[in-house]
Amino acid sequence: MGVAKAGLEWHGSTLLRRVVGLLSRGVDGPVVVIRAPGQPLPALPPRVDVLDDPTEGLGPLQGLAIGLSAVCEQAPVAFVCSTDLPFLHPLFVRRVTASLGDGHDIAMPHVGGFRQPLTAAYATALAGLAAELVAEGHGAPRPLLERARTLVLDDTALAGLDLRSVENLNTTEQYAAARAEPPPEVVVQRYGVLASGGQSGSRTVRAATVGAAAEAVGLVLDRHVLAAVNGDQTSRDPHTPLLAGDVVALLSADAGG
Amino acid sequence: MAEPAFPGGYFGQALIVDVTDGTRRVLPIPPQVLREHLGGAGLGAWLLTELAPVGVDPLGADAPLCFVFSPLVGTPLTTSAKFAVVAKSPLTGMLTDALASSHFALAGKLTGHDAIVLVGRAEQPSVLFVQDADVHLEAAGELWGQPAAEAEAAVRARSGHRWQVAAIGTAGERGVAYATISHDGRHAGRGGLGAVMGSKQLKALAVRGSHKVAPADPAGVLAAAKDLRERSLGRATAKYRELGTMGNVLALNALSTLPTRNFQQAVFEGAQQLGAEELAQARGVTRSSCASCSIGCEHLYQGAGGKKVRMEHQSVSSLGSMCGVSDPDAVLAASARCDELGIDTISTGGTIAWAMECVERGLIDAPWLSFGDGGALLRAIEQIGDGTGLGPLLARGSRAAAAEVGQGSLEFAPQVKGLELPGYEPRTMQAMALGMAVNARGADHNRSGAYEADLSGDLDRLAGGQAHVTGAIESEDRAAVMDSMILCSFLRKVFDDPWVEWAALLSLVTGWDLTADELRATAQRIVLAKRAYNLREGWAPEDDWLPERFLTTTLTVGSGRTAALSPERLRAMVQGYWAARGLDATGRP
Repeated sequence: MGVAKAGLEWHGSTLLRRVVGLLSRGVDGPVVVIRAPGQPLPALPPRVDVLDDPTEGLGPLQGLAIGLSAVCEQAPVAFVCSTDLPFLHPLFVRRVTASLGDGHDIAMPHVGGFRQPLTAAYATALAGLAAELVAEGHGAPRPLLERARTLVLDDTALAGLDLRSVENLNTTEQYAAARAEPPPEVVVQRYGVLASGGQSGSRTVRAATVGAAAEAVGLVLDRHVLAAVNGDQTSRDPHTPLLAGDVVALLSADAGG
Repeated sequence: MAEPAFPGGYFGQALIVDVTDGTRRVLPIPPQVLREHLGGAGLGAWLLTELAPVGVDPLGADAPLCFVFSPLVGTPLTTSAKFAVVAKSPLTGMLTDALASSHFALAGKLTGHDAIVLVGRAEQPSVLFVQDADVHLEAAGELWGQPAAEAEAAVRARSGHRWQVAAIGTAGERGVAYATISHDGRHAGRGGLGAVMGSKQLKALAVRGSHKVAPADPAGVLAAAKDLRERSLGRATAKYRELGTMGNVLALNALSTLPTRNFQQAVFEGAQQLGAEELAQARGVTRSSCASCSIGCEHLYQGAGGKKVRMEHQSVSSLGSMCGVSDPDAVLAASARCDELGIDTISTGGTIAWAMECVERGLIDAPWLSFGDGGALLRAIEQIGDGTGLGPLLARGSRAAAAEVGQGSLEFAPQVKGLELPGYEPRTMQAMALGMAVNARGADHNRSGAYEADLSGDLDRLAGGQAHVTGAIESEDRAAVMDSMILCSFLRKVFDDPWVEWAALLSLVTGWDLTADELRATAQRIVLAKRAYNLREGWAPEDDWLPERFLTTTLTVGSGRTAALSPERLRAMVQGYWAARGLDATGRP
């Protein structure tokens, strides 16, 4: 594509910010971004760790090894994905991650006739093996997949999930086409003083981010206004990504009393 | 020019009255003590530690009951007309401090004392009058048995409207462990201070003064007051002004943080009917404010029969969602009845909700007392008030009642240190979980507003850890200062840099050259002074803990995520809190 995908614009946010936000909704543990040494990244939310590849240009296996090593003390399984997945769905992440049980090291979706190693779940215990393979000069994940016990997730295993989750953007045209799609439909609810003047109740709007959802009902996230998506975390980050069907609660920031 | 004997905003003395015979003495308070404890809750902790015998029975004649003023009260600073009441709690057996507000604070301070401390026990039901240095007791036989508001009105009608009166209701007379002390419709609500006053056979304390509050820099204080007033009218206080704390109900419900049916759920399907957004439209009557307040957070609603009822989020959550009651008439009536009897709505609702669950589990034989039944809620409140039926059991609070009922009911008694939890669900607000576990007063939302950290978006409220410890401590420290200098906590968001701004305000009033760092140290000192008192009275490490229910059962929030608070996670946070406070691994200094 000729440019770093991480910083590509996505409805007022960036591709990386969106993927990180969606991924964090699909996992219970930390989110780690692995980048080329010193690579500039767009703004990321709190509680996202950024690690550098030790050596530039060795391929994704090195990043995979670094990432698995970073979280192996905190989680037995990690979901691994690339940065160019604007349609990644948290339910896809959860199902794939939950699929990895005893007896396997990798849970690998098989979608569109291809295995999807960069939307797959890995046992973090593979960190050592991955590092050995990198040391042996490997750059692609393939040798790791060959030596690990891989569970292939077929259509049946992935039934009901949004398979656009694996749709990555490799060309300028793919990016332009994806970007041209309308933002998802979401429901906005205002509470407390934000609902004054007959503004209570639900409104359906199109918005790819929480900030856009707030703007659609005439509000701006700031010191006094918070948002929570689907009753989960509160946030002032306008770049928090949204999916079709999300419910965005807009709240007065002062909850005391 | 001679140095003033005491700092600006202070009189440098407490009045100690033995209500057994109406004798009085003056306790000088050294300037250093004032600087180290400020006033209000902080100075109250010092006074209680100094004046209460070790191991005193909270309802014994020796137990001091401290009405404590602050350096800011009597200045034109908005929301400063507040006072603290401090004593050993009959509900928790530890220190309790509760704030109330309005003209009593002003009149009490103008008697020329930084605190009025009551000890002893009157021979008969009495009213104590304090006018400057003069003190006298009057028999109050005809007032005994009246609601606090009626007693207050009667005292003022009889003695003159320049008297300001704090009084108890019948619950205080009967020793209900969570009875309140009331003034002008506001209540020093938590921990049973009304029972302490009732145990002294004191129906009311009436104050009137002619002294003047002298700030060190009057012009500076005036300018600061003008600035603060203007800021208090902005967006930071809009919620309180427009809807009051009831504006929290639906928001917290949307976040799965509204305690429901004795914490068995965190989303109440009947919340919509109790939310301010709907109630304000249908039943909103008027707004009111305390003396010297430019916010005006009090919202009055029309109850059954046209009665005007003050309502707060805490009353709605404890009497409404906690008891599964969604009928606004029933909740408004229950809140009004609690006010008349003089009982804390949070402890009342929590204890009744616990009893409802006991009935559901077959542990208490009272089939009429079921979740969702507004009539049953009102009946239970009446029994607490008149001591019939379940009243004697419920009047002791959920911890003591659970100890009597046994059969595992303590595991779901919604209390910490004996104090019932306020309207925040600890599993889905884990900084608040820590705040409630470790606070000296018990499960509390005023002395620990750690829910702010949970809702800040800066941490994962479902995954308690070190960030939650930091958030809980910051909140507790801020509250310690606000409750001691005193400014209303509803003002807190107007400050951009609170420690610096508070130090500046206090410096203008007192003449001290306070810094933000010194004020932070003062906050820590006040928090630890309360812990030290509790330790002296038998606090043990297991008191900094939450009921079993919260540690063994989970909730699911709207996104589908599971909210779990394991004993290990809570232990780590408590240990982190103790360490950050400079305490040892057992929570002791």
